[in-house]
Amino acid sequence: MKLERQAMNNLITCISLAFLVACIIKPVAAADVSVRDENVCIRCHGAQPGRLGEPVKLWRESIHAANNVACNGCHGGDPQDAVNAMSPARGFLGAPEETAIPAFCGRCHVGVAKDYLSSAHGRALGKGGPTCVTCHGNHLVVKATLDIINEKRCSACHDYGRARTIKDAMQQTEGLIVSIGGRIDSFKGEGVDTDRLDKGLFSVRNRFHTLFHNVDVGMVKQESARINTELNSIAGSLDKIDEQRKKRKLAGAAVVGGALLAALVFYLLRKSYD
Amino acid sequence: MIFVKRIYEWIEVRLGVKELVEKNLTGYLLPRNINFWYSMGSIILFIFAVQVVTGMLLLVYYVPDADKAYSSVTAIMNRVPFGWLIRTCHAIGSSMMVLFLLLHMLSVMFMGSYKRPRELNWLSGFILFSLVQVICLTGYLLPWSQLSFWATTVATNSIGAIPLVGQFIVEFLRGGKLVGPPTLGRFFTLHVAVIPVLIASVVGVHLFLLERIGVSKPPFGLDNTKNRWQGDAFRYDEHTGGIPFFPNYILQDMTSIAIYFSLFAAVVFFCPGIFFPDDAFIQANPFQTPAHIKPEWYFLANYQTLKLFPNEFIGLSIQGAAMTFLALLPFIDWGNEKHPLKRPLFMVCAIGGILLYIGLSIWGHYS
Repeated sequence: MKLERQAMNNLITCISLAFLVACIIKPVAAADVSVRDENVCIRCHGAQPGRLGEPVKLWRESIHAANNVACNGCHGGDPQDAVNAMSPARGFLGAPEETAIPAFCGRCHVGVAKDYLSSAHGRALGKGGPTCVTCHGNHLVVKATLDIINEKRCSACHDYGRARTIKDAMQQTEGLIVSIGGRIDSFKGEGVDTDRLDKGLFSVRNRFHTLFHNVDVGMVKQESARINTELNSIAGSLDKIDEQRKKRKLAGAAVVGGALLAALVFYLLRKSYD
Repeated sequence: MIFVKRIYEWIEVRLGVKELVEKNLTGYLLPRNINFWYSMGSIILFIFAVQVVTGMLLLVYYVPDADKAYSSVTAIMNRVPFGWLIRTCHAIGSSMMVLFLLLHMLSVMFMGSYKRPRELNWLSGFILFSLVQVICLTGYLLPWSQLSFWATTVATNSIGAIPLVGQFIVEFLRGGKLVGPPTLGRFFTLHVAVIPVLIASVVGVHLFLLERIGVSKPPFGLDNTKNRWQGDAFRYDEHTGGIPFFPNYILQDMTSIAIYFSLFAAVVFFCPGIFFPDDAFIQANPFQTPAHIKPEWYFLANYQTLKLFPNEFIGLSIQGAAMTFLALLPFIDWGNEKHPLKRPLFMVCAIGGILLYIGLSIWGHYS
């Protein structure tokens, strides 16, 4: 009788859990499907083949897409109204003329446009010189790095020699900025207050980036050296945090060791009493 | 020495300390086959104590104001002497509390210690487990980070799926339609004043029941592993010829606590990041929803269950049913057998349930 009752109880327990399992294991419905709220430019052009659809494909991989800067951010127009999306009355600008490109991009990238226009490249605008899109591309714009300066791209217009000298002078600084940025991000992820260091690096990085459009080798070398000194000071602050972390780990090892030793002592004491 | 002896005698004649010690420590006998799983309760009490002490220290510098909460936590982590240690201990301690409560509950389940006459011990333990989950949830919002803000938004949103009263409860908890400064005030009050008092009271009830009914006998190493209780009258579960609580078992408790502490310290000093995703160190921004907001590991199974159902109410109901089933387990499982290997159906269901919980948690983590 008792066995029967126990079996029944166990059966109830089992059925209840099985019910739970059966209810939970259901096909994953459309819960995970996230619908991107795309504008009418993307919806219409994205569906078109060839030249008209290509910009959308390129843009999707760009830093503009990553930062939610859509077609209308540069070309204007009304992204909510399919009929009037490309109406000049709604601010549609279309594609700029070659000489208007720096001003077109410079609406957002104000400082960079200024640097470019004062450089040899900018001064040659309209006379066969490069515009923003010559080096950065138009729709597939990615985060600017020193890799943009390369033999293939530069030698399309002139000899690569001077560009290589400039790139070499900037390479070390660029590497330092990337490495310090990575270290700051890593500390930030551990709860370290990196606000001051972040602001310091931001300011140095911006100054360094103004050199990207400069073609004066002497000035680039001089300014890079100055920036390197400031970066080394930030790196010094990060080294101090690293040192502090090491000390904490040493203290941690002592605490863990002490606790394990205490456990052993208590265990042996218990055995002696037993 | 004479002075100390006189003080002792003065207290002895008034309080009967000798008898008290004999009754509760040296004369308090435990089963001879008691094992280390019985020290889980002591570990949990130790964790509670650490949480209370670190929580009080955090209160000295923490500011429960939406404009200042994040910067006060940043200051604790970076400028207050040993603030990083206190905050890390408190945050990791909360996860440890849940983990060891789960281990304690599992050991009680497998050893059949929840069976009559200990239904109330199980029930009070289950209430404690639920309260600990609530205190963890309310504490999660306090740093006012992106993680805490959005995790609280998601957690409180799901309550809205309850028919009729859901929206009212959500607004009552949040102090408005959305998570905001009033929510922080409410959660802070619950976290530092209301729930700790409730937890302390239920711990008191749990310990009283343990003391009153007596410690259960583990079913291992015995010929007869059936429940001895007849149900005819109240009887204290005596263990004549057993081992004394002091010094024998208290040394086992100390051993377990020291082992736990070494594990805890290893996490605190060497890998605190496992409980802190990047969003935990970004100030809350109600206008920027992070790409992937995941709850703490112990809510991942609940989170994934909710995601599996197109209707949140069904998901909530399933979870409610599972929790009710677990709470009422001693009233459902009436069998006398305590040894897990002699309860094959129980074993299959329990292991299945554990695997399901782990599976859903892993799924929730990677989904």
